[in-house]
Amino acid sequence: MSIIEVEKLTKYYGKSRGIVDVSFNVEEGEIFGFIGPNGAGKSTTIRLFLSLIYPSSGKARIFGKDCIEFGPEIRQEIGYLPSEVFYYEGMKVIDLLKYSGSFYKKDTTRRMHELAEIMELDLKRRIDDLSYGNKKKVGIVQGLLHQPKLIILDEPTSGLDPLMQQKFFNLIREENKRGATVFFSSHILGEVQKMCSRVAVIKEGSIIKIEEIKTLRNEHYKKVMVTAENSDQLQFDLEGVTNVERDNGTVRFFFKGDINQVTRIISAHDVADLTIEEPTLEEIFMHYYE
Amino acid sequence: MNIYFRELKANLKSLLIWSGIVVLFVLVGFSKFSAYEGNPELLAIMDSMPKALVEAMSLKAFNLTTVTGFLGLMFTYFGLILSVAAGMWGTDIITKEERDRTVEFSLTLPVTRGKVITGKLLAAVTHCILLLLVTWGSILLGAANYQTTQEFFDFLSLIIPALGMMQLIFLAIGILLGCAMKHYKRASSITMFILLGMYMASIFSGLNEKLEFLKYVSPFKYFNPAVMLNESRLEWPYLLITAGIIGVCLLGAYFTYQRRDLYI
Repeated sequence: MSIIEVEKLTKYYGKSRGIVDVSFNVEEGEIFGFIGPNGAGKSTTIRLFLSLIYPSSGKARIFGKDCIEFGPEIRQEIGYLPSEVFYYEGMKVIDLLKYSGSFYKKDTTRRMHELAEIMELDLKRRIDDLSYGNKKKVGIVQGLLHQPKLIILDEPTSGLDPLMQQKFFNLIREENKRGATVFFSSHILGEVQKMCSRVAVIKEGSIIKIEEIKTLRNEHYKKVMVTAENSDQLQFDLEGVTNVERDNGTVRFFFKGDINQVTRIISAHDVADLTIEEPTLEEIFMHYYE
Repeated sequence: MNIYFRELKANLKSLLIWSGIVVLFVLVGFSKFSAYEGNPELLAIMDSMPKALVEAMSLKAFNLTTVTGFLGLMFTYFGLILSVAAGMWGTDIITKEERDRTVEFSLTLPVTRGKVITGKLLAAVTHCILLLLVTWGSILLGAANYQTTQEFFDFLSLIIPALGMMQLIFLAIGILLGCAMKHYKRASSITMFILLGMYMASIFSGLNEKLEFLKYVSPFKYFNPAVMLNESRLEWPYLLITAGIIGVCLLGAYFTYQRRDLYI
C-alpha cells in the first residue's frame, strides 16, 4: 500500500515557482529519500503534505486520504521534524512536550520520557535557554512521541553533533523497523545514501529521477582514473563517457556501459596507475545538479 | 481547550501591563477631577469655549462638576484605551505564530485551523473581560473619594457593557486582519490605522452636519454617553450594527484563515 501518493502536485507562490507537476509514491515501510539543492522545492512539497500551504493544482494523499480534506485526521499519525525548530517562548521543555502530546489520542507520556533519555534531553530546562542543537532534540522528541506511522524529516541533522546524528539515525531505523514509513528530505547525500532505499531527485521544482539507491550506484556509473606518461594519447571516444578531466598526466572520467570497452583502450597503453571505482552518490548527483 | 489555556498564560504579561495602564489612567483622571468638583468657574470656562470643540469632545451633555458628568467625559478615553488593547490582542494572537515562526509546530499538530482560531478567540475574549473588570474596579476605587449618587451607578452599569462591546468590535477586527492578511507585519499596523481612523471619524461626525453619517461608521459613536446618562439606555440600532460587525469579522476570519497559505 502506498503511504504517500502525489499526483501532478503544483504550487506557485504568485508568479514564482514552488514545484511543478510533482508525482511519486512512497510505499509502506520504506525510507524514501528526497534530495535536491537548496530552493529546489523540497520544503514546499512537505508543507503541502502538512497543509500548511495549499496546492495550485494536483493533489497529495497520505494514508489514502486527501491532505487538505483530512489534514487534522492524517496528522494524528504524522511526525514532522522541520529543518529549523521554533517553539513558544517562556515554556519549559516538559510543558511544551506535554502540550504537544495533548493533541494526540494516545497517551504519549511514556514514549516522551524514553525518547528524552535516548536523546539526552533535559526536560526541566526552558526552551529559550537551549542551544540550537538542543532545540533540535526537542523537535525530535516532539515529532516522535506519538509513535507516528509516517515520519517526515526536513534536513533533520543540521545542528546535531556526529554522535547525536548517529543516535538519531538509529532511532529512525528502529521506528522504521517498528513499521513506520520515513520521508527523508535532505541535501546531504551521504545521509540519504546511508538511510534510504529509494530516492527522488528534485531540481528547480521538478522531479528529475526516482530510483533505487542500489541501482543508481551499481548499475550505472564507474569512476575511472588512469595515470600514464603519455596520457594525451589516451583517448576514450566511447559512448557513455562523461565528465572527462585531464591534469598532470591523469585522466578522470565517468563511464556508463560495458567496462571491457574501457579496459581494451587502456591495455593498448603503458599506464602508471589505474583505478576503477563506484562513484559516491555525491558525484552522481553533481551530475544532476549542474 | 489546551490552546485556550496556553494562550491565556502566554498573554498574561500583556494583560498585566494593560491593567497597569488602565489603573493609572483612571486614578490620575479622578485625582484631576478634584479640581473640577463643585467648581462654578469651570462652567463659565465651558460656556466660553467654541461650540464645535465642545461638541467634538462631547462635553456638552455633562456637568463636569459632578463625578457622574466627569465619568461621561472620561468614557471616550476608556473606550479608546480598551479598544487599542483589544485590537492589538486580536491581531497579535493570530499573527504571532507566523511572526515567531511557530506555525510549523502549532499548525502541523492534529488540529483544524478553525479550532486554533476558536481557542485563541476565547482566550482573547477572556482577557478583554478581565481588563474590563479591572477598569470597573478602578473606576469604583477612583470615584470612592467623591460624592456618588444612584445616577452614577446606573450610568456606570451601562458604561461597562458599552466598553465591553467596543472591545469586542476591535478584537473581532483585529482577529479578522490577523487571519486574512498574509503579511503579519501589516496586520497590526492596519488594525491600529483603522482604529485611529474611526476615532477621527467620531470627532468629525460631530463637527459638520454633512459628516454626520460617520456616526454609523465609527464604533466610538455607537455608545453615546449622553444617551446612556440622560435616558439610561443603549441605542438598539447601534447594538445591531455592533453584532453585525462582530459576526461578519469572525465569519471572515474563519473563512479566510482556513483557505490561505501560512507564511513560513
